[in-house]
Amino acid sequence: MDPLATTTIVGIGGFVVGLVFGATVQRTNFCTMGAISDLVLMGDQRRFRSWLLAIAVAILGTHGLHFSGLIDIDKSIYLTSNLGWLGAIIGGVMFGFGMTLTGGCGSKTMARLGAGNLKSLIVALVLGVVAYMTLRGILALGRVPIETASNIDLKAHGLANQSIGDMVGALLGLPGSTLRLVLAIGAAAAFLLYCFKDADFRRSTTNVVGGLIVGLAPVAGWAVTGILGNDDFNPTPLVSVTFVAPLGESLQYLMTFTGSTINFGIAVVGGVIVGSFLMAIATGTFRIESFADRDDLVRHLGGGALMGAGGVLALGCTIGQGITGMSTLALGSVLAWLSIIAGGYLGMKYLEEGSFGGALRAVFQRD
Amino acid sequence: MTGEVLDAKGLNCPLPIVKARKALKSVPVGGTLEVHATDPGSVADFGAFCRATGNELVESTQHDNVYRFVIKHLR
Repeated sequence: MDPLATTTIVGIGGFVVGLVFGATVQRTNFCTMGAISDLVLMGDQRRFRSWLLAIAVAILGTHGLHFSGLIDIDKSIYLTSNLGWLGAIIGGVMFGFGMTLTGGCGSKTMARLGAGNLKSLIVALVLGVVAYMTLRGILALGRVPIETASNIDLKAHGLANQSIGDMVGALLGLPGSTLRLVLAIGAAAAFLLYCFKDADFRRSTTNVVGGLIVGLAPVAGWAVTGILGNDDFNPTPLVSVTFVAPLGESLQYLMTFTGSTINFGIAVVGGVIVGSFLMAIATGTFRIESFADRDDLVRHLGGGALMGAGGVLALGCTIGQGITGMSTLALGSVLAWLSIIAGGYLGMKYLEEGSFGGALRAVFQRD
Repeated sequence: MTGEVLDAKGLNCPLPIVKARKALKSVPVGGTLEVHATDPGSVADFGAFCRATGNELVESTQHDNVYRFVIKHLR
């Protein structure tokens, strides 16, 4: 019997990770945009804590895999020595703003699509096409100068990568790997403490379970590409759960299917849609939804485009940078994550005030 | 009981909440705001909204895929 090709194994693994992720998001209402919206509009912190719980779980799992020697997270894109700080900030704000217009990030768009929301189909198409245009197409003409002008080559400063632990270690003259471990345990403990000190959050089983499972998804992703995909002759690139570039690749994959090979990201996208569909059917929440009016369509088109371009510029979305990237404790990921939250806050104010100027005034004039 | 009615049908999170929050400001304390929505997520959202803002969710029902929420403005 022929052994399964590595790409097939990685594809199946990615699909399963996506399936569990999609079903969880649909069932528990885990939503990074919703986390910001609850926080800004109601002062309800439970979903935000759920996101932080996911980050804490991902940090612990990812560092567990790294320090046990099963994977080498230095090979992921998040920890390269090329620090794209400006792209992380601009792209992060664009992504965060865009996701408030569409009512959800890339992963939520996939989950909603699986549950029958046709607005999300349009968002997915726009997001995927614009992401690919920014990655390889005409919009790359705008992206490349930003990166060339601002990216910092850390190697020129004697740093091997953008791991915060390694960087602090180099500053203090201490071993980077020790600091990395201390920082990972410290950050995860701080996040866990913040989450569970709140009785409201502890009582909210859906938010706790949602955060736990979503946080395990990037860890499972590293294991799929880094362990199952670790072929001696043709090693799989070490990647994990993220949605922006894979959405673009998924569209390309569907259009050039006979001449294309599946990869981890595409399989995850497929898995999330199917997982959410199955959960929606099982719980009786499947429903075909369409646009309310012209403004609703305009918001979704704009939001999808901002998420596509912003997500590529920031090297990821609320999941890709906001959980998977954060799990590596890379400086660029922290910048992107904070910028996405800032963009989300600005987007929420935009929806409230109805104009960009009004949103800026609302941000800077505290009442 | 005659209160204001907000039509948020076809809108998804966070817009029903954004609009409800705004509309509630013009409802006198003790008055009610009735919201119609179609987003399945709005059930959890309006529960959380009332809980967090200290207003009372008097009614949360569903008829033919339309959710109806009645919020009593308490503060």
